[in-house]
Amino acid sequence: MSQIDENKILDCLKRLSQVVPGQEATARAIQKARDVLIAGEGRRVGLAPPSFIGRLMKLAAAAVLMIGAGFIGGRLSAPEPLDVQELQIALESSLKSSLVPAIQQELLSEMDDRWQSTLATSNVKVKDELARQVRRDLTEFAAQTLAASGTRTDQRLNELIRLIEAARIQDRQRMAAAFDYIESRFGSGLVTLAARTDDLLCAERGGPAPDVSEN
Amino acid sequence: MSSRQKELLELLDKSGADLYALLTRLTLREEVAEELMQELFIKLNNSRGAGNIANLNAYARRAAINLAFDWRRSQKRTVLTMGQAGEPVSTEDSPLRKLIHTEELTETLDAVGRLKKSSREVLVMRYLQQESYDNIAEQLGKTSHQVRALCSRAIRNLRNILGSNEHKSSNKEIHNVANR
Repeated sequence: MSQIDENKILDCLKRLSQVVPGQEATARAIQKARDVLIAGEGRRVGLAPPSFIGRLMKLAAAAVLMIGAGFIGGRLSAPEPLDVQELQIALESSLKSSLVPAIQQELLSEMDDRWQSTLATSNVKVKDELARQVRRDLTEFAAQTLAASGTRTDQRLNELIRLIEAARIQDRQRMAAAFDYIESRFGSGLVTLAARTDDLLCAERGGPAPDVSEN
Repeated sequence: MSSRQKELLELLDKSGADLYALLTRLTLREEVAEELMQELFIKLNNSRGAGNIANLNAYARRAAINLAFDWRRSQKRTVLTMGQAGEPVSTEDSPLRKLIHTEELTETLDAVGRLKKSSREVLVMRYLQQESYDNIAEQLGKTSHQVRALCSRAIRNLRNILGSNEHKSSNKEIHNVANR
């Protein structure tokens, strides 16, 4: 088609629509189709059976093509050979950058733990020692205090006893003085009172009263 | 005989000639159309979903169109021997003219085969089978307006395809002349 326009295309399509098969061919085709339908087994009349070898060849060719395409794709997409030194340097730097901080951190934490455990042990020892010392000091202080207080108490008691004794003596002296004074003031009157009292008592009993004046 | 076979026999009696004509137009070879006709009815008979098809005639037409264009595509990949090449169907007298016309028709049909399935079916039904837009719309379950739009788009695409083919062939000729 030298010139492509719509009319030309439509003309071609029109000519195609005017293609009509012959009557005999149409009748034959319909008859064969009818035979195929009546046979009902899907067998085609006048057609060669599908070739198994042909299909197998097609499958084999497809498989070869697929394998080839996969191989070529793999080769094209395969990475370049590795540079060992570059890889080593890269690995070293990578390991340094990743492992060194981690190791440092690990060491620091381990040291901290050890110091803490050591300090904790020392702390316990110091505590025990201090407690023991304090207990010993307290005991000694208590003993000294007890001794001191005992001495003081004894002193106080002695002082008290002495004061009490002095007070008793003074009391007795005062009593003696009072008796002396009473005797000196009321000596005869007392004897008279006693005699009379004795008389009265005897009289009440019915007998003579004893002589108390001689006593 | 099953009910499916009875239906297909009725379809063959009613539309067998039309289907054969359609296959002949699309293949341009009567013996191939005859084979495809058998294959079409085998497929219809073996089709599991054919029982649910409302319009068996329309379904058979679409299947015939697809079969014919499948055959055309397979023919591009195989080399025909002299014995396999049959006489093309044409009404022209002159052998040269017959050859040119057959070439044009083949080229047009190949271009139709490169269209989308929906466009191809609509184009074949409208321009090769000379069916009305309403009839096509009924068969395809579309509106008449949609079918018109599809036809118009199909013609435009066909023109583009044929135009690109023409451009390629002219460039090839120029290249061949320059090499000489």
